[in-house]
Amino acid sequence: MPGSSAQRWRHALVVVWTCAIVIFMYLPALCLLLASLTSSRYFIFPITRWGVDWWHKTFDSIEIRQLFETSILIALCVTAVSVVIAFFGALAFARYNWRGRSIYQKIVLLPIFFPQSVLGLALLLWFNALGLELSWRTGVLAHLVWIVPVATLVISIQVYSFDPALEEAAFDLGATRWQVFREVTLPVLFPGIFSGALFSFLLSWGNFPLSLFTTGADNTIPKYLYAKMVAGYTPGVPVLGTVSTFGAALLLLIGYAVILVLRRRHSDAVTEE
Amino acid sequence: MSDESTTGRKSILQLRQLTKSFGNFTAVDRVDLDIAEGEFFTIVGPSGSGKTTLLRMLTGMETPSSGDILLHGERINDLPANRRPTCMVFQSLALFPHRTVGQNIEFPLKIRGVDAASRKKRALQLLEQLRLPETYYSKNVTKCSGGERQRVALARALAYNPEILFFDEPLSAIDYKLRKTLEKELKDIHRETGKTFIYITHSLEEAMVMSDRIGVMRAGHLVQVGTPNEIYTAPRSKFVSEFIGDVNVIAVQTQADGQLHAAEFGTSFVPPRLPNGFTSGHLVVRPEFLRFLDRPDSAINCLEGRLYNEYALGSRIQYQVRVGEHVFIVEKLRQQAFGGQRDDAVLIGWDAKDSILVAE
Repeated sequence: MPGSSAQRWRHALVVVWTCAIVIFMYLPALCLLLASLTSSRYFIFPITRWGVDWWHKTFDSIEIRQLFETSILIALCVTAVSVVIAFFGALAFARYNWRGRSIYQKIVLLPIFFPQSVLGLALLLWFNALGLELSWRTGVLAHLVWIVPVATLVISIQVYSFDPALEEAAFDLGATRWQVFREVTLPVLFPGIFSGALFSFLLSWGNFPLSLFTTGADNTIPKYLYAKMVAGYTPGVPVLGTVSTFGAALLLLIGYAVILVLRRRHSDAVTEE
Repeated sequence: MSDESTTGRKSILQLRQLTKSFGNFTAVDRVDLDIAEGEFFTIVGPSGSGKTTLLRMLTGMETPSSGDILLHGERINDLPANRRPTCMVFQSLALFPHRTVGQNIEFPLKIRGVDAASRKKRALQLLEQLRLPETYYSKNVTKCSGGERQRVALARALAYNPEILFFDEPLSAIDYKLRKTLEKELKDIHRETGKTFIYITHSLEEAMVMSDRIGVMRAGHLVQVGTPNEIYTAPRSKFVSEFIGDVNVIAVQTQADGQLHAAEFGTSFVPPRLPNGFTSGHLVVRPEFLRFLDRPDSAINCLEGRLYNEYALGSRIQYQVRVGEHVFIVEKLRQQAFGGQRDDAVLIGWDAKDSILVAE
């Protein structure tokens, strides 16, 4: 058959290319894991003495535990605040037609494209000017400046596919404004809100440039990793990096699973009888 | 304008000089209308004619700029949609995608605080009434077919137990065959429930099938209200006559001998009964009343033209005949097909009683 060998070639090329991309993207994370599994003090490839000593050391450290606590605290605060702001922002963004909407849409997205280190520096100057003491709290504010626009965009996608007639129908069927919100708007938009929350948490969790400038003496994991890389490297750095990376991935997978379970439960209710 | 509608029943809904403007644009302009209890009333109009705005005012989703809406004689202009005893089936149906068929139907009952057992009982009754299997109670509403979704939306509206049901072109996105079935079903449901149905559509054909009365809207005005038969046989304007489908329209004016002069053809026609004070307007001849003639004198009105085109329309065949620049449409049943060839010179004509004279 003419052409079939050409087709095979094309198929092989697609497979090779895809694998190459995947390896290119995930190899660094894997290297991080490998670098943490050494018993030596320094970073040497190939690894001569394998071991999990540094994992023990890292998890036993009170300093590291505090890092986790600060990072999680910041991320949770950012998530809570940004979801509320972004939800209503997204309704204004994607739902209602009002004068100045188009300008609002552009302005609200602009901070996403600011270089984060510059944004961090600018915020640092502002916090100083306002006389705010730098701590994890100012870090939360800084993260919000960048993360609220992202969460707004994520939730907007869900809002765009929301038929406003659903709310009108509920209202027409006797529901009060609050019942419409609770029974229709919120549950229908929930997947978007959930994604927005996940985005907010993970972007805050992994953020370095904003934290560097604005959390003052409170250390977050990315900040700590950077400091240790600059001076005082131990294999504790890749351990922490691995935990941070795989933790984020795990959270994402759990989030995905939650969405799937919700969907499944819905269709189960459907096939029960 | 009387309180009794043409059907002789008590009127449930009355519109008085109802108007809605958006800025300088008047979407609905001084509409007066009485709708009788239990009536199936359809508002027909092209897009932009104001029919949707009118309906939204009736449901309470839009506030009138002026004029009144009276329900049982009481002004309800300012009553919000959730407190009106009326309910609408939306064009998009607006079924709640996160709920099952049963939950969708039970929604208005749940809002009213009806207990779960009674809700389910009612939902199952409605499923039966709408010819949906009982098992659909727990079916995912997004997995229903187009026709099933129509029925669920109607069941949900009926669960609200409204005095008036509104329909905003719910059948417009459905394919032809299913639409025809659903139209008839809707008419059955109307008879079974005895409720007042107010339906809007851009299709006069759809309106004809279902309605007791039809109101035709154009540019914010209700230009004619009547039974389907009245709208079909006695349209009051060129606009209404053309809305039903292909018609032949000739601009005419009266002349001294009582005949109608058609400047376009340089000839005159014998009119049906001339209305008082008629001076100029349009003569309308439906394609099924236009005939091919053997001799000029076999119909009272006659024109000579050329056979221009021929289309098979299923049970009928449509012919286009050119007279000068004007294209006339003639329709014949398939069994009575006309044997002419393209570009043949033909005579077409009609009897005076088969034409309609409209002033506009």
